[in-house]
Amino acid sequence: MKQNQFIQSKSENWKRFEAHCNQADNLPSNFPTQFRQICSDLSIAKTRNYSPTLVQNLNRLVQLGQTHLYKGSSLSLRQILHVFTRDFPTALYTTRYYMWGSFFAFYGFGLLAFIWVLISPDAIYHFLDPQSVNNLESMYNPSGSTQSLIRGADSDVLMLGVYIFNNIGIAFQMIGGGALFGIGALIPLLFNSFYLGAVFAHMLNVGYTSTFYSFVISHGSFELMAIVVAGAAGSKIGFSLLAPGNYTRAYAFKAAGKQVMPLIVGAFVMLFIAAFIEAFWSPRDIPSAYKYFIGSIGWLFVCYRLYKGVRYGT
Amino acid sequence: MYEQGIDNQTQRSLAEGVSMSLHPAGLAVRTSAYLFDFFIRLVAMAAIGIITAMLGKAGGGIFLISYFVVSWGYYIYFEGKNGQTPGKKRYGLVVVQDNGLPAHFAHAIIRNLLRVADSFPFVYALGIVTVLSSKEFKRIGDWAAGTLVVYKESTVDLNIDDGGEVCSPPIQLSTTEQLAIIEFAKRCDTLSEARQVELANVLAPVLGDIEQPTHMQIKAYARYYIGQSVSSTRNV
Repeated sequence: MKQNQFIQSKSENWKRFEAHCNQADNLPSNFPTQFRQICSDLSIAKTRNYSPTLVQNLNRLVQLGQTHLYKGSSLSLRQILHVFTRDFPTALYTTRYYMWGSFFAFYGFGLLAFIWVLISPDAIYHFLDPQSVNNLESMYNPSGSTQSLIRGADSDVLMLGVYIFNNIGIAFQMIGGGALFGIGALIPLLFNSFYLGAVFAHMLNVGYTSTFYSFVISHGSFELMAIVVAGAAGSKIGFSLLAPGNYTRAYAFKAAGKQVMPLIVGAFVMLFIAAFIEAFWSPRDIPSAYKYFIGSIGWLFVCYRLYKGVRYGT
Repeated sequence: MYEQGIDNQTQRSLAEGVSMSLHPAGLAVRTSAYLFDFFIRLVAMAAIGIITAMLGKAGGGIFLISYFVVSWGYYIYFEGKNGQTPGKKRYGLVVVQDNGLPAHFAHAIIRNLLRVADSFPFVYALGIVTVLSSKEFKRIGDWAAGTLVVYKESTVDLNIDDGGEVCSPPIQLSTTEQLAIIEFAKRCDTLSEARQVELANVLAPVLGDIEQPTHMQIKAYARYYIGQSVSSTRNV
């Protein structure tokens, strides 16, 4: 068949196909058939060495058809929840060694710093400069004004912004920076573990337990565990480059990216919950007993769910 | 499957039994798209900043939340939706998966979180190095997510509009060879007459007996290959 005849007999189909693509919201039921027809036309045009313009035009139609035929689902709250409740535990299981590593790195080194500062209180100045120590002390001083002052709703919203911007930003940076052979994940993880361990011990040393511990216990469960998840996700990506196993580095890196996707969503949702608790529940001026009670339930719940995920993938 | 032709396109085999060509976008155009997006984000944040400044303390919180959403969510939202941020749309780029299928939200999330690694240690230095050193212009985020940035319409402009003679060639050439002929004709504007003759004469033994100088003849073939018909132009 001559090229001109070919074009004449098919151009009607091509025009119709392109029109369908342009009003993409209701594709006809035979759209896949039409798409395959276009693909077949392209391969005919290629094997018969028809002119480049024709091949290019058909190539464009194939590309166009593909974007409509293989479109991903749109982002919805339901889908995020689905990933969080179904894919997240499975991903915890597949990355369980990284989860345990990240867990022990974070809490192990945190505990070391805690014990060190508990034994020699001046060691706090190894971790924090005197200015920040003073700030922390004035913030959680039981006789001071900061805690007893009834915080208005507007500063709750301000703090919500700070927690979302800061904490989720740090977690995302750990995951992204983890691609640099895991370094970008491990440094923030260890920094935070030393910092928090030292601060917890220092608050015990100066005797501000009633304000500090009752403040952090509620959101701590979600927040501190999300940091562990982010650390695991970041180091998983990074170590896939260092130890790709039986795969090429490029393939291992890509596979790792796919595996940690649910961890990213998981860390995000956990930190999002933590930010709301930290902004609206933790600073409430109510007896500490309630906070300890609710906070302990939160810790039990988070640890139980994460353990189930890491151990059984559910 | 990954061979690269003379036109910098890569081929992808589809499940439908044909291979499709993609045209990966290089550093310059992607930088332009980035700067355009950066400008949009800047304007958006300035507008939000002005509005929230009037709302006192709560406004500060709303500002920080919007800053978080704009800095992390802008790319994820647009690239997950249809593979194109406004900047990419402006420059005709689109993010697709390695196999040519449209990118999904999962790809957009990975790809854009790894901007942190790409921008290490400053102004996307590592990203630029990886883009320049990979065949398909992938930055670190593209490697991890398995994505490519390609031109949406891979139409290299093949039109020659000089109204010259059109001639149908005596031998059959493959599409790639036809493309080479067309590229030659298009590039003639920037070549001296002597250089044109020199290049075209390489083909002289293959073409055999022809009635005019080789480079003129090849240009006539090129016009034929881009779809001008022999009879219609003769009347002009």
